[in-house]
Amino acid sequence: MTAILARELRSYFQTPTGYIFMGLFLLVTGFFFTMGNLMNGSSYYTNFLGSVLFLYLFAVPLLTMRLLSEERRQRTDQLLLTSPITITDIVLGKFFAALVVFLLTLVVTVLYALVIGIFGDLAVWETVGGYIGFLLLGSSFIAVGVLISAVSENQVSAAFFTFFALLVIWLIDAIKGVVPQDTVSGTIFAAALLVAIGLFFYLNTKSWIAAGAVGIVGAVVIVVLHLVDPTMFEGLIVETLDWFSLIDRFDSYTLGLLKLEETVFYLSFTSVFLFITVRIIEKRRWA
Amino acid sequence: MIEVRNLTKRFGPHTAVDNISFSVTRGEVVGFLGPNGAGKSTTMNILTGYLSATEGEVIIDGTDILEAPEQVKRRMGYLPENPPIYGEMTVREYLNFVCRIKHVPKREIRDRIEGGLHTVGIVEVFNRRIGNLSKGYRQRVGLAQALMGNPEILILDEPTAGLDPKQIIEIRKLIRKLGQDRTVLLSSHILHEVSAICKRVMIIHEGRIVADGEAATIGDDLFDTSQLVLTAIADRQTTEKIVGGLSDVTRLEVLTAMEEGTTELLIESERNRDLRREVFEAFSKSDVPLVGLRMRNMTLEEIFLELTSGVQEVTG
Repeated sequence: MTAILARELRSYFQTPTGYIFMGLFLLVTGFFFTMGNLMNGSSYYTNFLGSVLFLYLFAVPLLTMRLLSEERRQRTDQLLLTSPITITDIVLGKFFAALVVFLLTLVVTVLYALVIGIFGDLAVWETVGGYIGFLLLGSSFIAVGVLISAVSENQVSAAFFTFFALLVIWLIDAIKGVVPQDTVSGTIFAAALLVAIGLFFYLNTKSWIAAGAVGIVGAVVIVVLHLVDPTMFEGLIVETLDWFSLIDRFDSYTLGLLKLEETVFYLSFTSVFLFITVRIIEKRRWA
Repeated sequence: MIEVRNLTKRFGPHTAVDNISFSVTRGEVVGFLGPNGAGKSTTMNILTGYLSATEGEVIIDGTDILEAPEQVKRRMGYLPENPPIYGEMTVREYLNFVCRIKHVPKREIRDRIEGGLHTVGIVEVFNRRIGNLSKGYRQRVGLAQALMGNPEILILDEPTAGLDPKQIIEIRKLIRKLGQDRTVLLSSHILHEVSAICKRVMIIHEGRIVADGEAATIGDDLFDTSQLVLTAIADRQTTEKIVGGLSDVTRLEVLTAMEEGTTELLIESERNRDLRREVFEAFSKSDVPLVGLRMRNMTLEEIFLELTSGVQEVTG
């Protein structure tokens, strides 16, 4: 894993990617810091952290687009996959390389906090919490980017789809407030999910029987649950969307709270996406 | 050393490799020969663990590659059709990286790289970026890569593709040298290349092995005739008449004569029936000058065409 990590890190700074990422990130954060804190004489550093979150939408795709898509396009994956290392080594090496570049960039922004600390009143714990949240959120987004890079044909489409996926995650918090909460819509949503799962099975097994069996079992479960307790479907959509709601969870960190629950959520989210990436690469060999 | 049993690989409805079985013993240098798209690369990709087979198994020294992929991969070096190189790295960085993912012990890395550079002849480009190197150098960097883990088994997919004639000769010499203490499996669609490097040839066509044998004798079983080509200073009728008097001639064909005033004939007899003496005596008896007489050996080219067209007739 360390070999992959080291190569990937080096590659970030042998190609323009690393510089563009750092440049973009520091330019935008510098701009917001200057406008929001310096010009206004504000020492609310956590406000600043919150206001630059949108930068992820552009910065993360830049960081992850190349990681796995280029290996496949350039056929260098033939070297990696025929070497005595595991796919997990490869995926983790790449993920951590992106995370390290991200972390290095974040370290530079600590200078902003120092400026406030010297010339004003820095809320130390809120800032530390904010950074931890920032990093956890970043790692979740990078994991999404790594996954999309693994399924993309080239880096341009990887960047585009990563941007799109992050945008959707971004909008989930807004959508959450307006989706219907009643039992009927919850049930319809469950049925739609079931159809999606059935299709997934079909695409994976190419057998309508397996997909049909899954569908029938699922349908029975939904009907039984509905008969037993219809209220179970109340707010189902919101709860499901909640799994993908990454931004809302960030807020508690900027209050200086280190909630175990949120931290576990971010780490699990990251792990699940990396795990799926490994499985996808593994499965491709059988295609 | 390499044992392949009933290997099949399907990509959707397309069968790339169709129930292939073969085994390669330690120290053999074997050539896969086949037209583009015959399934050579797919087979190699499965052997090295890049792809998984739809059916069948690959056993390396008694170990199934699916059971202990890492142990098996340690013992193999693979040069895929396109050398798996990173353009932004220098040759030094690249080989260092390869050594690390091949688990070469730290203190041996230096010597290993040094040795590889000399073996494939890329010492002079050691510190250059691979992206700026010519195709020939890239190919050799790829080959050096395959050697880094000091593998017992070398799998080389079209190792001379894209090289100029001088480099091709060098690489062939190198592979023959490597084959002295390693098992080598290489593929090519160029016939004389395989016969120049390998003792044993497997001809693959449409995903199947259609012939497997020594490069020198692989055609012998395919053809049930011996063929002679003779040239005589006489007209066609006379020549045909003399030959017609011979017993055991199964077929007679008039070829286009190279020289004016001569006739060239191809005569076939049963396999291992050598007619040269009879032909000579018949012509000398008739007082017709026989100026050329030779056995016609099947070239690998003809064997190849014969085999592959035969399969096409069966399947198509």
